[in-house]
Amino acid sequence: MPAATGGLEATALGKRFAAVTAVDDVSLVVRPGEIVGLLGPNGAGKTTTLRMLAGILSPDRGRVVIDGLDVHVDPIAAKRRLGFLSGDTQLYQRLSPREMLRYFAQLYELEPAQADRRIATLIAELDIGSFADRPCGTLSSGQKQRANLARAFLHEPQLLILDEPTNALDVVSGQFIVQAIRRARDAGRAVLLSTHIMGEAEYLCDRISLIHRGRIVDSGPLETLLQRSGQGNLTDAFLHYAGADAGAA
Amino acid sequence: MRYSIVRTILFKELRETLRDRRTLLMTVGLPVLLYPLVILAFTRIAESGEDAIAADKSVVAVWGALPAPVAAALADSKDLTLQPWGEAPEDLRAGLPSGRYSRRDATERAAPLLGRGRGTGPREVEPENAVLLAARAAVASRRVQSVIVAWPDTVQEYERGDAAPLSVYYDSVRRESAVAHERVSAALDDARQRIVVERQRARDLPNGFAQGLDVRTRNTSTAERRSGQLLGSILPYILLTLSVLGGMYAAIDLTAGEKERGTMQTLLCAPITSAEIVLAKFLTVWLLSLLSLVANLASLSMTVSRLLPADLPGVGVTNLVLALAVLLPVTLTTSALFLACASFARDFRDGQTMLTPVYMAVALPAGVVGLPTIELNAWTAFVPIVNVTLLVKALFLREASSELIFLTLLSACLYAAVAMAGAVHVFHRETVLVGEKTSLRTVFERDGVRGGTPNVGFALTAFAVLLVVQFYGGLSLRTLSIPWLLVTLQYGGFLLPTLGMVALFAFDWRKTLALRRPPVVAVAMAVLLGLTAWMFAGGVVGRLLPPPESLTRAMERFIQLGDAPMPLWVVWFVLGVTPGICEELFFRGLVFSGLRRLGAGPAVVASALLFALAHASIYRLMPTFILGLVLGTLRWRSGSVLPGMVMHALNNGLIGTLAQRPALAYWFGMQGASGALPIGPVLVGTVVMLMALGVLTRLTSPADDGPGDGASRSRG
Repeated sequence: MPAATGGLEATALGKRFAAVTAVDDVSLVVRPGEIVGLLGPNGAGKTTTLRMLAGILSPDRGRVVIDGLDVHVDPIAAKRRLGFLSGDTQLYQRLSPREMLRYFAQLYELEPAQADRRIATLIAELDIGSFADRPCGTLSSGQKQRANLARAFLHEPQLLILDEPTNALDVVSGQFIVQAIRRARDAGRAVLLSTHIMGEAEYLCDRISLIHRGRIVDSGPLETLLQRSGQGNLTDAFLHYAGADAGAA
Repeated sequence: MRYSIVRTILFKELRETLRDRRTLLMTVGLPVLLYPLVILAFTRIAESGEDAIAADKSVVAVWGALPAPVAAALADSKDLTLQPWGEAPEDLRAGLPSGRYSRRDATERAAPLLGRGRGTGPREVEPENAVLLAARAAVASRRVQSVIVAWPDTVQEYERGDAAPLSVYYDSVRRESAVAHERVSAALDDARQRIVVERQRARDLPNGFAQGLDVRTRNTSTAERRSGQLLGSILPYILLTLSVLGGMYAAIDLTAGEKERGTMQTLLCAPITSAEIVLAKFLTVWLLSLLSLVANLASLSMTVSRLLPADLPGVGVTNLVLALAVLLPVTLTTSALFLACASFARDFRDGQTMLTPVYMAVALPAGVVGLPTIELNAWTAFVPIVNVTLLVKALFLREASSELIFLTLLSACLYAAVAMAGAVHVFHRETVLVGEKTSLRTVFERDGVRGGTPNVGFALTAFAVLLVVQFYGGLSLRTLSIPWLLVTLQYGGFLLPTLGMVALFAFDWRKTLALRRPPVVAVAMAVLLGLTAWMFAGGVVGRLLPPPESLTRAMERFIQLGDAPMPLWVVWFVLGVTPGICEELFFRGLVFSGLRRLGAGPAVVASALLFALAHASIYRLMPTFILGLVLGTLRWRSGSVLPGMVMHALNNGLIGTLAQRPALAYWFGMQGASGALPIGPVLVGTVVMLMALGVLTRLTSPADDGPGDGASRSRG
């Protein structure tokens, strides 16, 4: 099913590293106003898939289209429509959040006045004001991730790709990020979310794709997954598909 | 303090550290293997230089008439070759015997050295005078290593039984001149002993009551040169190693450091290209290298003068500016090299371990600048890093020729271009950028699509490699006759490597070498251009930028293919057809198709520039550049390499024919093959050439001759 304008459509993606097949025939669709979860055990191919979707890695096979633009044919235009946030992404230690946001505003070629307005809005919305001018190296994990979220939202992208955004955050900070993701969905953005926290996926995702050994093993709304796997909750469904690998992870 | 706990932690730290093979290599491998190898290499280089000087006889000019025992002692020396009046100016030849130049004028403030003060080192013993200036010029010519001057009264004094005055001139800065001085001094000492013994015996005098020779030694090198020698042996090495170090840490921080901090991925998600990232990072590293270079230069210039003897001047501003200018290409090379290598590291520590050997590979060879027998010449001008340090030393010594400066900077810029192409190539490896574990071997993988065309980096690298091969090939094959030398270099140095590269990298033969059937009009224009381009190049450029006479003579001999007359078919084959095929397939074939990705106009200009640089002479730069522009335009508009071959062969063949048939040159109104062409033929040639170019620009180039058309080999 093709993605509507502003969404993401990935078709038959494949990627190998030397002799290892990291991703094999993965297809995904994320529509505007929808959160799709990508769940899988460690080493299942989530990060490689997300990197291909974000245009950081080139797929060996398949194509990725964001808002009608092929990421690997017209990467600049496609990336303007994309916001990427990863749990292990750090900030520039010697820049303050405000300086970092200005830097990215220039990379996204926002007009200076527009950039200033947008930065002020994000600082207020994400409650960054108290630490906006402190070096990022001195911030707590939660503060850093809020600043990072501001960076991902800065250019008002139609699509958000979030790779374990609440990783290593405390409950309060994690909840702040979760609410921000919900607001983005409510504002009509397409969101692709990868997470290890099943409760977060159940709470946020409209549809879920389970990836195992580089392949999508099941996909659909939570209820459909539970029905097909014959399990009562997402954790059991996940273990049902991932089996021993998930336990090892 | 619980020492058992300390011991436990100590053993754990050691175990973990020693399990890291790179740390082990740096801690144990380097001292055990590298340093002995380096010391051995340096010693061998120094010894081979000394051996070469020791094996050669010193050529010594003798100005004036020597007393018989002195002449005999010098002639008996197996290490000396005497040249009576060698390199003496006419004025001196006439003036010295007639007494116009006397020792009194030359040694007004003199203090005798030899005999009493030998070994005390150079001292100011003689004011500047005509004899000294002539001796300095003679030694500087390198045709003689030392000059012995016998004064008008030398023989008279000897015959009277007094100390016969002699002066010995040498240049302490040049090792072979210093060796010649030692040999002359030994021979003169021997002569003095013989004369003294003979006189004591003849007059029955006790020891010490007879005189032999009054030999005075004068070091012809100026204070600036002596200062230059001291500074030139140390400063270039220090400057290079310290300024390069400044860029090294920046390169690690901007690549491995950024990966470690997790910010590289964020940057890659932004709407920017990897080329933009690499250029910005490269400029950062380069600017920091430059900053380090300027800081080092300023600091050294202020402090180093304190280390010099009081009578020697410090580092002049001119020397500083020249050193800065010369070291610029090296900072370009090292910045790109460090950036490319550091991008394979996953964190800062990994980066340091990776770059240390690279740094040593850059810094250690530069140390040869301290060896007195190693100097800048045609051979060393192409040795990376070493060439630039030697050039700085030569500039300090004020003995760098414009040709050697040109060759050194040319090769330094080439190596910089190759290093930058390598850095761009590495940054296109996305797995390297995102921090996946990647082997250095992946850089050399040929993973392109079969049937593509080269990219810009490939073209530049191929050019750099072939130029170095051509240069050293030419030096090695100097014993061959000119026709054989040219044919060998053209077919072996251009054609075979070109065909080999296209085959090895599986490029598309037709597209890469532009082997298309050209339009008839293009061939006709190529004929017209071939008949007239030499008139413009020789007539206009030769007038605006006249080459020095020595080069003109060398070129004349070159295009005459030696001293003996040659049949015209040999001239046309060697000078016309052979470069027409070999150079065109390389420059307008492989190189042009790589540069085509920059756009047609830039490809014409850049290929012309490379074509001009390949002729390795600053004085031929402009005419060959213009010829390259015309040939590039032909290649672009016709889409084929064939018209360029026709034009190139005609142009060169005609020049060779004029050299072989002076009557034809006179018919054009020239005084010999290298004489200036009268303005009439120059104007006619220029007009025809411009008209032919005008017709060419109206041609439409083939549709399949675009930048990187078809399947391209990589995204470079």
